[in-house]
This record gives sequence, C-alpha cells and structure tokens, in this order.
Amino acid sequence: MWDYSDKVKDHFLHPRNARVIEDANGVGDVGSIICGDALRLMLKIDPVTEVIEDAAFQTYGCGSAIASSSALTEMLKGKSLKEAQKITNQDIVDYLGGLPPEKMHCSVMGREALDAAVANYHGKSYEQSHDDGELVCHCFGVGVNKIKKAVWENHLTTVEEVTNYTKAGGGCASCHMRIEEIIDEVWMDLKKCGVPRPGTVPTPIPSMTIQSSTAAAAAVTEAIDSKTKSSPIYDDVVKILKEISDGLKSDGSGVELDAISGSDVIVKLSGAASGGMMKDMTLSFIQKKLSEGTGRQIRALTR
Amino acid sequence: MDVMNLGAGSGTYLDNNATTQIDPLVVEAMMPYLTTFFGNASSQHGFGVPVEKAIIRAREQVADFLGAEHPDEILFTSCATESDNTALWSALWSQKDRDEIVTSPVEHPAIMQTCDFLSSHGVTVNYVKVDAKGNIDPNEFESLLSDRTALASIMWANNETGDIYPVPRLAEIAASHGVMFHTDAVQAVAKIPVNLKETCINMLSFSGHKIHAPKGIGVLYVRRGTRFTPFMKGGHQERGRRAGTENVPYIVGLGVACELAKKNLGLIGTKIRALRDKLQEGLLKSIPECFVTGDVNNRTDNTLNIAFKYVEGEAILLMLNEYGIAASSGSACSSESLEPSHVMRAMGVPFSAAHGTIRFSLSRFNTEEDVETTLKVLPGIIEKLRSYSPYWNLNKPKVANIDHEFDADSKEVRA
Repeated sequence: MWDYSDKVKDHFLHPRNARVIEDANGVGDVGSIICGDALRLMLKIDPVTEVIEDAAFQTYGCGSAIASSSALTEMLKGKSLKEAQKITNQDIVDYLGGLPPEKMHCSVMGREALDAAVANYHGKSYEQSHDDGELVCHCFGVGVNKIKKAVWENHLTTVEEVTNYTKAGGGCASCHMRIEEIIDEVWMDLKKCGVPRPGTVPTPIPSMTIQSSTAAAAAVTEAIDSKTKSSPIYDDVVKILKEISDGLKSDGSGVELDAISGSDVIVKLSGAASGGMMKDMTLSFIQKKLSEGTGRQIRALTR
Repeated sequence: MDVMNLGAGSGTYLDNNATTQIDPLVVEAMMPYLTTFFGNASSQHGFGVPVEKAIIRAREQVADFLGAEHPDEILFTSCATESDNTALWSALWSQKDRDEIVTSPVEHPAIMQTCDFLSSHGVTVNYVKVDAKGNIDPNEFESLLSDRTALASIMWANNETGDIYPVPRLAEIAASHGVMFHTDAVQAVAKIPVNLKETCINMLSFSGHKIHAPKGIGVLYVRRGTRFTPFMKGGHQERGRRAGTENVPYIVGLGVACELAKKNLGLIGTKIRALRDKLQEGLLKSIPECFVTGDVNNRTDNTLNIAFKYVEGEAILLMLNEYGIAASSGSACSSESLEPSHVMRAMGVPFSAAHGTIRFSLSRFNTEEDVETTLKVLPGIIEKLRSYSPYWNLNKPKVANIDHEFDADSKEVRA
C-alpha cells in the first residue's frame, strides 16, 4: 500500500468537484484506459473577464490520480486563465503535501488536462494543440516533448524519475537509452541557465576569486544609485550576481545588478537568458540564490 | 522508531494468497529453537544433536504432507523463489545437451523473470498459450517438448485467479518424452490434495508463508533419480544440495504447518469454499458490470478474482482499506510496475477490466462476518468510484461542448 499524505487521502476519500459541468466551455480530456488513468477537466470560464468561475473533474484512476484532480480543481477556481496557466505539476504536488515518487505522473496528468482544457476553450482540438514530437515510449505513447518538459521543470536526472513523472519507460524498457539521451540534452540547457546537475561535481571556475569579483563589482557600481549602494545586502548581492554571471557566460548570457529596493533586487539580463521560458527560469534561480546568500526572502525581477 | 505504532494492519484479512497469518501452534513449536536449542545441526555435541533430530522430524512432516516417497527428497530453501531458481538452473546445468525451457505466460515472476534472463543468455524459452479462462491445452504443451528441452515448468495453481493446471497429466506427458518436469505449487499445496509419489513430477516448489508458517522458509522437492546441480554452493547441508546453515526454527515451524495443513485440508472444500462462494455470489448480484476472471469451475477454493469494469483497482483497495478490509489487485497502480498484471494480459482480459481486478483470497481463519462486512461496503465503493469515472456515464448529465468521448474499448492514448 502506498504511503499517502493525509491531504491526499482527504482529497481521495472526499474529492472536491467530482461532477459534470454541463455548460463547461473548456474541456480537457487526457489519459486512456490502457494506461490505467484518464481525466476529464471541465472549466466554466467567463468569456469577458477570463476568470475560471467553476472547475470540476471526472477521473478514472488510482487514489493519487483522483486526489490530484480534486486538488487541481480547487486551485483553479477563481483564478484568471493567465494565472491558472502558471500552475505547474509541482504546485499540485505541494498543494497535496507531497506524492510518492512513483505517483508523480498523476500530477503531470493534471497539468496536461489543464493545457488541453485551455486549448479547447480557445477552440483548438487536442491534436491541434498537442505536439508530441518524436514518439519515445511506445508502450505508453509518450513523446519527446513531454519528457523534455518534465525533465526541465522538475530537474529530473534518472530514467526512473522520468518514468515516475511521465510513465515513459515503464513498459518494455526498450526506450531507456533514448530517455537517457533526452535527459542529457535537457541538462545541457539547464546547466547553461546555471542549474548545477545534482550528483556531478561542478567544474571550478578559475576566475571566481575574491580579487576578480571586487574588480567586477567596481565596474558595476558606477551605474548604480546611492540608495542601492546603501542597502545592507548590497555587498552580498553583488558578489552572488557575479558568481551567477560567471556561470552564465558559457552561452553568452549575462546578469547585472540594476537596483535594490528593500528586498526587491532588480537585475538586467542579457543573451539567451533574457527571453521566454529561459528568463523566468533564470530569474527564479537568481531569486533562490539571493535568498539563500542573504538569508532574506528576496524577490528578483527585471524592469 | 516506535515499533508498536507502525500502523499495523487489523480488520478483515482477505489476502491469503499474498501471505498468511502464522498459526499460533506453529509459533509455539518454533520458540524453543529460538532459545534453548540454538545449536548447529552439523555439530557433533550435545547442542547440535537435538537440533538435527528436529530437522529430521520436520523433513518427515513435509514429505508426508506432499506424499513424497522419501524424506530425503525434501530440500529446505529460503523461499519458493529460491526453489524456482534452483529448479531452472539445475535442469540446465545438469543436462548440458539441452538448452530449452517450456513454461506458461501466467507463471509467478520467480519463473517468468528468471526465464527472461535465461533467454537473453542463449536459452530458448517456449511458452504454451493460455485461453481466456487461463487454461492450457495439453496437446499444445506436448508439441513444444523436444530432445532439447531441459525442463518443463508449469505452475500448479495460479496466484491471481486460482486456476488449477493439470500438472499430474502434464508431468506424465513430459516423462513420456524424457523431459524433466517442475511445478511451482506455492498456491496449490494446502488447497488441493498433493500426492507426489503417484505422479511423475521431478521437482516441486512451495513456501511456508502461504500455509501459515513464517516467511523465509521454502521447499524444493527433488525426486530421487533426478539429475541435480546445487544452486547454492559452499557446504554439505541438505546432503550437499543446498549449502548454508539450516534455518532451524523456521524448518521446525514449516514441519508443524505442513502437519496442520494436512489435518485441515478438509476445511478448504467445505467451510472456505462456502465463504468464497457466498462472497462471489453476493458481489455478482449487487454490482453491475463485473465478472469473475479465470475458470470458475476449476480453481482453488479460497480464491476469487473479480474484475470491476471502468474503475481502477488501487482506488478500490484504498477505499476497502478505510473499512479495514485487505485484498489485492492486478491493476498497474497498485504494484510498482505501470502495467496491469501479466496474468490478465495473457488471458486477454480487456484493459477496461484488467485495471479493476480485485483478488480476495481466504484462509481457514476467515469467518462469515468477514464476508458480510465486504458485501456490505464494496457495492458502495464501486458505485462511488464509478460516479467519478469518465468511462461510466450511467445517470450522468452530459457535457454539451465536447469534441472527444472517452471510450473504454478504444486503444487511443492521449498522453
């Protein structure tokens, strides 16, 4: 028997919103009876404000699949479509107080149903909105894009973890080599964003000496106002940003301090790290490093 | 760690094909060998001699239970998995001119996965097909035997469905072709009468913990005259056929468990069968869209494997557990694997039902009340889970704007 958290048990035994919304205008169907779990997410979205007025689900699956669906609908109600789309599978897991590693795919299924429901709301069919890419796992019909996304978002490092999150590789095991390749590909990109791959020793950067960081700090300080300079965390922030910037150099990206206001640190990003998904990724990484380094809850943002 | 508060199971135990409760009489018989009689059976002094005698006694009890001609045909092992491994390897090692194995696709993983390993190392494994009820055709079995066959291994009873295979008949066929025959009888002994001296079975495996002895003790029966190479090497124990100091308390416990099993064999066809049948009829009557898997007329009397369509087995087990009822499932989610049971797939049970199979397995310790509790709660559980399932649309409103329908019989995958 799986060791589920009390919250998972509660959402399984007393699921919220397990019903049909007859006039739903965003319906997301994912999963299949072959795989052993399937989910229909129904959303009622106000077409003017794009606020999710109601959310409900129908789920065929194990305890954690039902609990994840229930949690998702609770998280969605009252959110704007824009806010809703920021929900990650990890948010669902956190809401439930954790899931056993082997059950992470249930949270991923919830996230996918949300994507499908939003696509449906915008009048797109599942096929139109869905680009699986190369089919990697034939047993469970999992494409390369789903695997890449799971590795990217959850920093997965082993085939076993990929199976736990996506089911890919859970059948005949003939795709395990390919999954390893995909993990390596994604980590090439993650490392460029300064995320160290766990279990591997980070390459020491020769230039990361006290002297060079002072020199770089001097160069940066010129363009910075006096309020920023007088911040009690200024020295720490400059030092941490310098280290991150050195790590980003390998692909031509960079980060510079713009200003500090209270616990908000405003930075300037350049290169590949300054756009799209990479930008959010980089900012959240910087925020984590700054919070750790200064011992305060820092918010990292750009202008 | 508070060992008294690990969430120990209590309530209605209907999972006896997984493991059984140890009979208090077995525990009682074992205790002196955990305290007073700690000697090594191989020692030639006063500490060893009574221990050796206890092993001799247990070996006789097991031989008597199985109807073996000679007690020396009984080897004590650590578990039935070890016995199965030993049988397969020994047959190949001791017959160098034979490199094929004949088996079935519904065997326990102890056979299946060992065969997978062997087949990736040059051994040819031939599988005899099973039909929708799980039965095999003796003629097809015969057609797979050749002078290259080192071993034919067919289970006596299936762990999931309880299906009984015509093992004495198959052993005869194998013998007539000069092929060695092994059976994994873990789910058969103590449930059907076994009398090995009247059969042609060369080797038989079973384990203690399915017959009210503890875990960690198994048996491999090896008929006199069967070519044998030990799997475990490094000592003279078990007449050089299974090295390692004897697990004396467990061997003693197993001996007593065998004696009790022989004595209680009459209960299985009467009391236990009546309880199982009551459970089966009650469930079939009160729950729509469910069916019994396996061969209803040819299975062990304690086992009921029932498939509930459109719901998932793990969810059923979790809800049953809330009522203190313990059973097991062939669904993917309730195991560490992601695929439904290989037994259900071999029998061609559709996915819409394979994921929703629940196995109830009874023992002589079960009561009328256990069955009644289950009959009271399970219909409600299935109804509740179906009300959540997108594959079950009875009495449900329809969503107006959809471009897709969930079809339980389709092969689509929307990942």
